[in-house]
Amino acid sequence: MAATNGNIKIHISHLKKFFGELEVLNDISMDVYEGEVVVIIGPSGSGKSTLLRCINKLEEVTDGQIIVDGHDITDKKVNINKVRENIGMVFQHFNLFNNLNVLGNLMLAPVDLKKATKEQAREQALLMLQKVGLSDKAEAYPAQLSGCQKQRVAIARALCMNPDIMLFDEPTSALDPEMVGEVLQVMKQLAADGMTMVIVTHEMGFAREVADRVIFMDGGYIVEEGPPQKLFLNPKEPRTINFLNKVL
Amino acid sequence: MVDILSVYGSMLLQAMGQSLVMAFFGLIFACIVGLIFGILSVMHNRVCRAIATAFVYAIRGVPMIVLAFFVFFGVPYFANNVLGSNLTLTALQAGIICLALNCGAYMAEIIRAGIQSVDKGQMEAARSLGLPYWRAMQRVILPQAIRTMIPSIINQFIITLKDTSILSVIGFPELVNSAKNVIANTFNSFAVWAIVAVMYIIVITALSVAAKRVERRLSRGRD
Repeated sequence: MAATNGNIKIHISHLKKFFGELEVLNDISMDVYEGEVVVIIGPSGSGKSTLLRCINKLEEVTDGQIIVDGHDITDKKVNINKVRENIGMVFQHFNLFNNLNVLGNLMLAPVDLKKATKEQAREQALLMLQKVGLSDKAEAYPAQLSGCQKQRVAIARALCMNPDIMLFDEPTSALDPEMVGEVLQVMKQLAADGMTMVIVTHEMGFAREVADRVIFMDGGYIVEEGPPQKLFLNPKEPRTINFLNKVL
Repeated sequence: MVDILSVYGSMLLQAMGQSLVMAFFGLIFACIVGLIFGILSVMHNRVCRAIATAFVYAIRGVPMIVLAFFVFFGVPYFANNVLGSNLTLTALQAGIICLALNCGAYMAEIIRAGIQSVDKGQMEAARSLGLPYWRAMQRVILPQAIRTMIPSIINQFIITLKDTSILSVIGFPELVNSAKNVIANTFNSFAVWAIVAVMYIIVITALSVAAKRVERRLSRGRD
């Protein structure tokens, strides 16, 4: 478990999100500290993915405030692209760029955004591939990779921007059960390296092992939160108890 | 037929060349028109989408021959008599404008469909890395969209090449117009139209084969 030093990386206050008439997020307030691993659990449709996608503004916020690394991303004047450079995101369906090979996927953003020269980006890409155990796949195209390999490439791609924060949106939900472990292993290593992480997942075992804090969401609300031992072994809210009874 | 070919063959070939010149420039401008309106039609801004839709519906709703008369006769008349400017269009210029507008409208639809066929997650992933919308479009979305668009674009090119024959009505000396002149001299409409038909078949088949090759090369090793 990573230690936190008390710096707030993500500050969310009174966040509301509507899809048309439907209220998906209802007055959410939470902070994520530097180096902290926060895992969000909850039933489908509880708003956990939407909450995650608000943090890098893939979803427009209806009301409330989100401050990431000191930048108020709900302020229209803030350049969201600059903020996103420091927030890596990993998606359920990988979303590797199908028109580029693995190296191309990893090098695109650093080179295009002038974070690195081609040579530097290539060097770093190879290093990251080594980290996720896919050095031999540098020249492969996404279509030639398994789901688990794709997801590890996706993690490496996000890491190539040297982000301070990593967001994971159900990273193992689209994988075959026997493939899940390898992706979780990479994520565990990241957590151990001190990365600030917010993870939406259904992997309760992983949450229990890696999370500093677990948040249970239902119906657009944060119902209960706390350290994994407390939330999993001694939940207080009936809805949490009910949910954990079903999934554990 | 042989004597017609020996006397008028080079003239007909030259006319085919004129058809190709008009189609070539028409297609180049059609690509630009199509790209502009195609991208407008996938933008978030409602005004942009409305402009693109209006353009496509207007052009699609007008027969090519009416468009040709409108551009060649109508527009200069309006410019000269109402606006008081001094505009003349050659038949080639008017023809290229017609093809650019007509083919451009269909290209816009092909490009819109191509861009929309790319999974939404591709744009999200690119944006999540910090790429601005246009860079993401350029580096990730369009390269994938173009590959799915290619067969439709080739098809549209062929239609446009054939549509140059309609533009004989504004007097450009392309293949059909020249063929009419040859018939006026020889009275053998069967042989002349047969020759013209075969000429179109040869050119279009050659283009189709070349296009297929390009298509195959672009999709090699992917998917």
